[in-house]
Amino acid sequence: MVRELFRRGLDDHRRALASWCAGIGAYALMLAAIFPSVEGSADFSKLVQSYPEALKSLFGLTGSVNIGTGRGFVDTELFSFMLPLFAIVLAIGSGARTLAGEEDAGRLELVLAYPVRRGAAVLGKGAAVAVEVAVFCAASYAALALSSVAFGLDLPPGRLAGGLLGVGLLALFHGWLALAVGAAWPSRALAIGVPAAVAAGTYLVGGLHDLASWLDPLRFVSGFWWVGQAPLSNDPRWSGLPVVALAAVAALGAAAYLIERRDLETP
Amino acid sequence: MPVPAIEAVGLSKTYRGGVEALVGLDLRVEHGEVFGFLGPNGAGKSTTIRLLLDLIRPTAGTATLLGLDSRTAGIEARRRIGYVPGDLRLYDRLTGRRQLDSLARLRGFADDARRDALVARFDVPLDRPIRELSKGNRQKLGIVQAFMHDPELLVLDEPTGGLDPLLQEEFRALVRETIARGRTIFLSSHSLDEVQHIADRVGIIRAGRLIDVDSVDALRERALRHVEITFAGSVEPGRFAALDGVRVRHVDDGTLRLSAPATAMDGVVKAAAGLEVVDLVAAPADLEEIFLELYREADDGGA
Repeated sequence: MVRELFRRGLDDHRRALASWCAGIGAYALMLAAIFPSVEGSADFSKLVQSYPEALKSLFGLTGSVNIGTGRGFVDTELFSFMLPLFAIVLAIGSGARTLAGEEDAGRLELVLAYPVRRGAAVLGKGAAVAVEVAVFCAASYAALALSSVAFGLDLPPGRLAGGLLGVGLLALFHGWLALAVGAAWPSRALAIGVPAAVAAGTYLVGGLHDLASWLDPLRFVSGFWWVGQAPLSNDPRWSGLPVVALAAVAALGAAAYLIERRDLETP
Repeated sequence: MPVPAIEAVGLSKTYRGGVEALVGLDLRVEHGEVFGFLGPNGAGKSTTIRLLLDLIRPTAGTATLLGLDSRTAGIEARRRIGYVPGDLRLYDRLTGRRQLDSLARLRGFADDARRDALVARFDVPLDRPIRELSKGNRQKLGIVQAFMHDPELLVLDEPTGGLDPLLQEEFRALVRETIARGRTIFLSSHSLDEVQHIADRVGIIRAGRLIDVDSVDALRERALRHVEITFAGSVEPGRFAALDGVRVRHVDDGTLRLSAPATAMDGVVKAAAGLEVVDLVAAPADLEEIFLELYREADDGGA
């Protein structure tokens, strides 16, 4: 029964998900193809070291990250910004579409007139979001592992998996947050806007808390801080991952609870 | 007393901003009847239905479907009903077949033979994406999904919108067969014409208040007769207007036009008998008119 909503959710986003996976795959391969031309380049490293402190901090370009190595290059070019951005946008889009979007379109009316518990319906949709994020991360892993071999990036498989797990959990949290916002208010705009704002804000806090002392106490609310920066150069922050996972589960629980409490919007 | 198919007690819904969509609805629909739920657009018909289905929550009062509380036992209740929404929205990308399959899986029950019979009967195009279908063809899908599991109670919100007259007749035949098999149908409509030939009783709702519940036969009895009396001399309309239930529509020299229910006819004739009558014509009752009359009365009452 609820499995049907899970299926429907995945089915509706199949094409979008395929484009996202193709997009990140192409991007990763393109970047990797550039790597041999910057490998060991002192000029490039010097250029990066001359970036303003704020930028370096934001992208995690600390002393341990050498952009002239494969892992430092991928940390800087993918894990610092693009990869989390792709994954989070995908997850928020999916979470917002599957609940608030369906309600906006008036399609929840008939679904919830069937013998389906609302909370269970949200969990089914949440599972679809999780599978999408997992597929995206698997596609990223495949593309990067392939690139690593093809262009000599020498990426450590364990750290790569851990780094992508961190990105996946971050994305999952924001996707399930989009569900929770959609469960609380019948607005697709809010279901996109609120998690997007949370992502942007916590990204800045996670990247800049070292530089601005007033931000430092706030670092605990940033999923980006818990996941850590530059997972290939530094090792993923394994201890932080369960925290992000817990936050994601809390968001999903809130979604299942909040949807029971209100009137369904009239189509 | 047997458990009613639908029962509402003091059911009320006030939306944020204080809009009273439904005020203290008391309603009882018996097993095995077709109950017509009539009212103009925005009267509270869909609000009532959405409260029954637990899609929205009442401000006050309770409702049961098949004896099950719509709030606490809604899942079990909805297992045993079929619903056609007033504003049906389906998955545009799916074909009709895949939409029906998806809904059957959502319900966890499929009776393919019954579904196929309904599809054939209403000539539903199953292999085209729903976005390419006309409103009428989408509505057919709505009807099929509501009837395909043979539910005990059907809640139908303006189910024949977009259907051509032939299919409307087919739908009425389906309703009659369904009732003959002991099911119950709650049929909302803004047009009496749509329900008067299939409903046993009708409830009339206006501005969130149920203003009348009666059998269709009784309504017909109450329907106004239009009487035109021509007198030899001029006529003083007051002697007719004073009669209970009588409305004088037009006075022109010796000609008087009035409308009155059957119960007032004796008074009309007696009042006319004191004068010299040249001609008297009475037109048959019009059900649609009493319906409109009830709308208007409630309007006057509210003003």
